[in-house]
Amino acid sequence: MQLKPRPTVIRRGLIAASCVLLGSSGARGQEVVQTGGDAETDGGQIDWLLDSALAYYHENGRIQAIEPVVSIRKDDGAGELVNFNLTYDSLSGSSPNGALPSNKPQTFASPSGKSLNAAPHTYTTASGQTSVVSAPIYTTSPGQLPVDPKYHDQRLAVGGSWQIPWSRLTNASFGGKVSYEHDFLSLAANASIAHDFNQKNTTLSFGINDETDAVRPIGGAPVPASDYALFEKSGNKSKNGAGMLLGLTQVMNRRWLSELNLSVDRFTGYLNDPYKIISVIDSGGNTTGYLYEKRPDARTRKSVYLENRVAWNRASAALSLRYMTDDWQIHSDTAQLRVRWWTAGHDQYWEPTVRWYRQTAADFYTPWISSAASSYLTYASADARLGAFNALTYGLKYAFKLNDALDQPGSEFSVRLEYYQQTFFNKLPAPAALQGLDLYPGLRAILLQVGFSY
Amino acid sequence: MNHRRLRRLLIVGSALLACACSSLGVKPWQRDILAREDMQLDSEPLDNAIDDHLYFSKEASSGGRSFAGGGCGCN
Repeated sequence: MQLKPRPTVIRRGLIAASCVLLGSSGARGQEVVQTGGDAETDGGQIDWLLDSALAYYHENGRIQAIEPVVSIRKDDGAGELVNFNLTYDSLSGSSPNGALPSNKPQTFASPSGKSLNAAPHTYTTASGQTSVVSAPIYTTSPGQLPVDPKYHDQRLAVGGSWQIPWSRLTNASFGGKVSYEHDFLSLAANASIAHDFNQKNTTLSFGINDETDAVRPIGGAPVPASDYALFEKSGNKSKNGAGMLLGLTQVMNRRWLSELNLSVDRFTGYLNDPYKIISVIDSGGNTTGYLYEKRPDARTRKSVYLENRVAWNRASAALSLRYMTDDWQIHSDTAQLRVRWWTAGHDQYWEPTVRWYRQTAADFYTPWISSAASSYLTYASADARLGAFNALTYGLKYAFKLNDALDQPGSEFSVRLEYYQQTFFNKLPAPAALQGLDLYPGLRAILLQVGFSY
Repeated sequence: MNHRRLRRLLIVGSALLACACSSLGVKPWQRDILAREDMQLDSEPLDNAIDDHLYFSKEASSGGRSFAGGGCGCN
């Protein structure tokens, strides 16, 4: 789970704050119960608002995760806004290692392994006692997708942001985030500024972001494109990223709000997945070995994002479109539609979601490498996330307001269920020995989330 | 929907926004509907964050609505 630094928050905050301040009386007159969720006590003191969620994620036959998230926010109603958030992820299950299925058993080492030797390891402890442990290897049955069956990971992320009024029409915002995993540490900071024009109907914003990551793979970072069986590893690595985002928000009319973002970012350093390998096959399709993947050490991405929100008396819709491209030759299109239907009392709502996503493959993506080509490899990765696929998400959320029960505006309890499915295209014809095997298994997953805001 | 069509949509959308002028927008006293919770661009921050993390870890694209940074070793 990640709570990304968001330059748009101040632009969104400006729109929201002006809406709340200028529209609350009118809102009441039109039976609109929400005014942005700010909680103010009778004495005029602004309270902290709590937003929390517990998500359960499950992939078909692979990973499962539990993610509790807590966010607290204080909005003084005059443009100053403070937010802190805490996220914990716990993942376990089986993670694909990138290798192809085979008609023969395949043996791999866990990340901590130093050989493919199946013999038990013998250690002598400091006290002189001898300890025998089984070798950190696993074997994949014929026809099965190779997965590391003992994958597990935990992540703790802490973030915060502070938005302050710069002038009557300008806000500045600063944020930061620390994310820790036992094999990964990320530090990020961002700053942005937003200015209102045209009676606060138009907001222009600009933000920058900087990120430094320490990559500390279990067992060390593999030498890119090296022979998997040699276990050539070279300690820890790092990567750095910087990005900027230019945004424009426009109130189109009383029921229509539009947002356009242009963004670019560039990451450099160790961009490989240290746990991903590639099968090397002969002309007949028989696996002859494996290589560690090798990606370029820089990546520049550009994207354009357009979101429109339209409201009716008892419904609203949010349609977002995104186009992204990068210098790895990945192009992606995303379209998402969320529609919210309020009940007659405006105290409950249903929110179906559908999302369509399509990406082309990175120019170095390959499900396998022929043994003839393995010796002059430039870049290669069999990571399915760099392949060409379509993805569909269907979701449904139900929420009911607890404003009266808890005497706190913005209070809400919600349940959300999503189904996500990836389907690959541009599949290469399988060599003879791989015929009948599922070389592009795709992905199916569900997400169940319970939320509570107070 | 193919790439070309989506790009065309984005271009049209961009042009619409680029035309933002006094003919667009509302008066201060007309913001009642815009003040609704579901009309805020970040009305569901935790839902978006959880979804973004899912997509970041399973797809090659991220960001757009906000910065596309990592903060996760999953990709």
